[in-house]
Amino acid sequence: MKDKKTNNREFTSILWNAPDKHSNDKDYIFQSSTFRLVLGFINLYGIILTILFFIVKGNLVGGVNNNFLESGFLSVLNARAILLLLLLMSLNISAYFNYGFKYVCLIMLVYMINSAIDNAVLFSSFTHFTDRPYFAAFNASRPLFIIALFWVMIFHKGNKKSIKIV
Amino acid sequence: MFEDSQLSKFFWFAMSIAYAFCFFALYTFATIPEYVLELNNTAQNNITMKLSNVRLVIVALALLLYPIILFGFFKYAKYFTVALTSWAVAIYIDDYFVLSEIIKYPESRLISLAQSLRPIMIVSLFCMSIELVFRPLTVD
Repeated sequence: MKDKKTNNREFTSILWNAPDKHSNDKDYIFQSSTFRLVLGFINLYGIILTILFFIVKGNLVGGVNNNFLESGFLSVLNARAILLLLLLMSLNISAYFNYGFKYVCLIMLVYMINSAIDNAVLFSSFTHFTDRPYFAAFNASRPLFIIALFWVMIFHKGNKKSIKIV
Repeated sequence: MFEDSQLSKFFWFAMSIAYAFCFFALYTFATIPEYVLELNNTAQNNITMKLSNVRLVIVALALLLYPIILFGFFKYAKYFTVALTSWAVAIYIDDYFVLSEIIKYPESRLISLAQSLRPIMIVSLFCMSIELVFRPLTVD
C-alpha cells in the first residue's frame, strides 16, 4: 500500500510500452476510408462489367443486334472479362497482404488503357450510344475507372523498404 | 557509365536487346513494300495495320522517354519499366488469345520474324523489371 504510486507508475510504463514491443498491430498499415471506398468502386465496376458480359452472352439484353455479336466482339469481350476478373482478384489479394499493390495496380491500369485503345481502333463503329446504350455507358465511364485506379495507386500506403547502406 | 551506375551489366544487355527489337519492329513496319499491302488488302489486314501504327507510335514515344526517365528520374524508372513490360505482355496476349479472330498481319518474312522474336523482348523487359524492382535501395 505504501508503494501504490510507484507501482502505478510502473504499471503505466509497462502498459505504455507493451504495444510497441509485443503487439503485432504495429505491422499493419491502415488505409484511409477514401482509399477503401475507391477500391470498392473498382471492384463493383469490374464485377458489373463481367455480369453485363454474361447477360449479353445469354442474349438477355435488348438493343444488341446479331451483327454486333457476330463481328467477333463477343469473343473479345469473353477474354477481356476473364482477364479483368483475374487482375481484380490479384489486386484484392495484393491489397489484403499489402504486398506489390502498386505494381498490380499499374499492370491493371496499363491493361485497361490498352483495351480502351484496342476498342477505339477496332470497334469504334460499334460503340454508338443509341445502338448499344449499356456498352456505350461503360465505354464512357472507363476514364472514371482509370482515374480511380490511378488514384488508388498513388495514395496506397505501402510497407517500408529495406535500405542497404554502402 | 557501367561502373558508376547501380545497375548490373545484365540490365544493360537486356535493355539493348529490347531496344534492338523495338528498332527492328519500327523498321519492319515502316518499310513494308506497297505490293505486300496491296496483296493483303483485306479488312482484317487494314484494321491490323491501323492498330500496329497506333502501337508503333507508343513504342517510339517509349524509346524516347525511357533514357530520360532512367537517367533523370531514376526513382520512377521501375514503374515505367513495369508499365512497359505489362503493356508488352498485354498486347502479346491480345494478339494471340483475344484478337486472334479479328486481326491478321500481312504476309511478310520480316513481320513473321518480328512476331517470332517478341517473346525474347518480353523476357528482356521482365529481366529489367525484376532488376529494378528487387534491387535494394542504396544509400551512401
